[in-house]
Amino acid sequence: MARAGRRAFLSGLLAAGMVARPSWADAGSPVFLSAAAVPDGGYLLCGITANFDVVFRIPLPGRGHAAAAHPTRPEAVAFARRPGTFPMVIDCATGQRKATLSAPEGRHFYGHGTFSADGSRLYTTENDFAAGRGRIGIWDAHQGYLRIGETDSGGIGPHDIARLPGSETLVIANGGIDTHPDSGRTKLNIPTMRPNLAYLEESELVETATLPKPWNKNSIRHLAVSATGKVAFGMQWQGDGPAPALIGLHQRGQAPHVVHVEGEDIHAMRGYIGSIAFADQGKTIAATSPRGGILQFFDAHRRTLIRTAQIEDVCGVASHDGGLTATSGTGRILQPSVSNKWSTHHRNLRWDNHLIAV
Amino acid sequence: MKRICLIAVLVTLPFGTQAQPVAEAILKSHIFPRFEALATASSDLANKAQESCAPASKELRGAYHAAFDAWVSASHLRFGPTERQDRAFALAFWPDSRGATPRTLAALIADKDPVATSADAYGDVSIAARGFYALEFLLFDDTLKAAGDPAYHCALVQTVSSDISNNASAILVDWTSRYAGIFLAPGPEGRYRSEEEVLQELLKALSTGLQFTSEARLGRPLGTFDRPRPNRAEARRSERSARHVALSLSSLQDLAIRLAGLDTALAADFSAKFAIAQNGLTALNDPVFKTGASLQTRIKVEVVQQNVDSIRSVVTQELGPTLGVAAGFNSLDGD
Repeated sequence: MARAGRRAFLSGLLAAGMVARPSWADAGSPVFLSAAAVPDGGYLLCGITANFDVVFRIPLPGRGHAAAAHPTRPEAVAFARRPGTFPMVIDCATGQRKATLSAPEGRHFYGHGTFSADGSRLYTTENDFAAGRGRIGIWDAHQGYLRIGETDSGGIGPHDIARLPGSETLVIANGGIDTHPDSGRTKLNIPTMRPNLAYLEESELVETATLPKPWNKNSIRHLAVSATGKVAFGMQWQGDGPAPALIGLHQRGQAPHVVHVEGEDIHAMRGYIGSIAFADQGKTIAATSPRGGILQFFDAHRRTLIRTAQIEDVCGVASHDGGLTATSGTGRILQPSVSNKWSTHHRNLRWDNHLIAV
Repeated sequence: MKRICLIAVLVTLPFGTQAQPVAEAILKSHIFPRFEALATASSDLANKAQESCAPASKELRGAYHAAFDAWVSASHLRFGPTERQDRAFALAFWPDSRGATPRTLAALIADKDPVATSADAYGDVSIAARGFYALEFLLFDDTLKAAGDPAYHCALVQTVSSDISNNASAILVDWTSRYAGIFLAPGPEGRYRSEEEVLQELLKALSTGLQFTSEARLGRPLGTFDRPRPNRAEARRSERSARHVALSLSSLQDLAIRLAGLDTALAADFSAKFAIAQNGLTALNDPVFKTGASLQTRIKVEVVQQNVDSIRSVVTQELGPTLGVAAGFNSLDGD
């Protein structure tokens, strides 16, 4: 069959609903995505099953950070570590690159993105570095990831982005730190930084939540969203001396709260949260501190520490089917919940910052 | 298993037991002399500005260079007293990617803002208009050195110089009266829980200092291959760009060798690597990194940058673990 004829034939079948559209099952049914490094210096995007097996390994051109999974198609967007310029859209069923998002002139990506509920739009956090403002790039996932617009992120240095469940409301962690590619990762505005959580609806800023002034050097970086729309955020302390707190919670329309942790328990976090996730129907928050080599569980309602688990170089954490899974730079994938210590050790992989639930 | 444990004990024991002497030696021989020199040279700068505020004054320019040298030699020690009230930021607002320093100074001059008549009041001005980089514009920038009413310009030079001196003096007093005690007496309730944490603070200062010299001091003028940016070189108006790299490397070398402690092989490795970087810089013989001039120059600057990065990699991979800082894939990431 001639190529064009075959394509027409297939699309006819698709239109008639006779051939199933590709789904995540065609990519081996991963439940998580994670970037990884391999010993020879190469970088990968991997699909991980519920059994912690790696079902696909797709080479990346450089070190990854986070990823976004399309809600229906077996398609992942792999983001580079900031200041990245290469988010790649990968067909996880075939391993083929479907598109490479290129940052418009004067923008670079921060390493996170999320899809609209129907998968038609991809939203990415970006730096408009001439202006020193955060932007959210909007891409049409149905038209080969064509850039169709952008909007202000509501702050400086937007990092993580998530969608509130059952809505198209986006929540953005504006970390507050101004950087410019002309000076690498040098932080330009620590004395005046003012991080926030910003909520966007149809590209309009509808709400911002800001911690009070003494906390203005606490960079809000990573997010988790519960089924009821509660947002947990992990911070990175940029001030001098010990961090006052590193975990916060926010519900729209209310003031943000921090989780108070004291003494050795906050000291052990080393001023730095790597990833954050909700578990137990939103009752528990898990946050990782890779510098301290710990994963901590917090009571989301009482805003208190429940317990601390020691895991060397832990960073990625995500929930799936109500349970938590964490990954480490030493290659481990584990369930850190109280009773279940089941884990797998991929000795030839170093799991990078974030574990993304499909 | 027994053997592994023994090695672990041998590796950790010497540092655990002698951290205090190492920290104390670094305080006395590395930290104090640098902040004393900064306070003295800054005080001299403020005095010289009172005597002669003309941008072309040899005495004033000499005092500016001496005080700026002292700052760069201490500029990696960014914790405690330098961060209180954002003192270090007020001494050194750079990189200034969006030109806030000349813009803010030009506005003060155009408005003849009376804030320039008092060093105390000047402490509330935007940090972009304070410190050494602002003073450089007032003394060396073709536009700003001649801008506005000469009497106002003179007052601004004097006030910026006095503000620098006030800040440098506050850092020194804070170190001697308060922070030295915190630094030397770690404990369960202290900012530092153990001697090892004191050394970890110094390790971070060393690593961040190397990163800043590589990414900002050397990286900014390099720009990209297609578009070198010599106008972004640090303090290029007073021809100090390469000097800052040399001064910072010299200070960082002193700190690295002190932190290596009894590990003479590591100390020797540091000495050799720092010498390579310094020799490369000397051979370059280009005070302001006019990297656009030739491909050859560009490659030489890139080699110095790689030399600095390779020192940082030794700090992270070899020195860090001996001071209890794991060289983990995620723990080192910082994103």
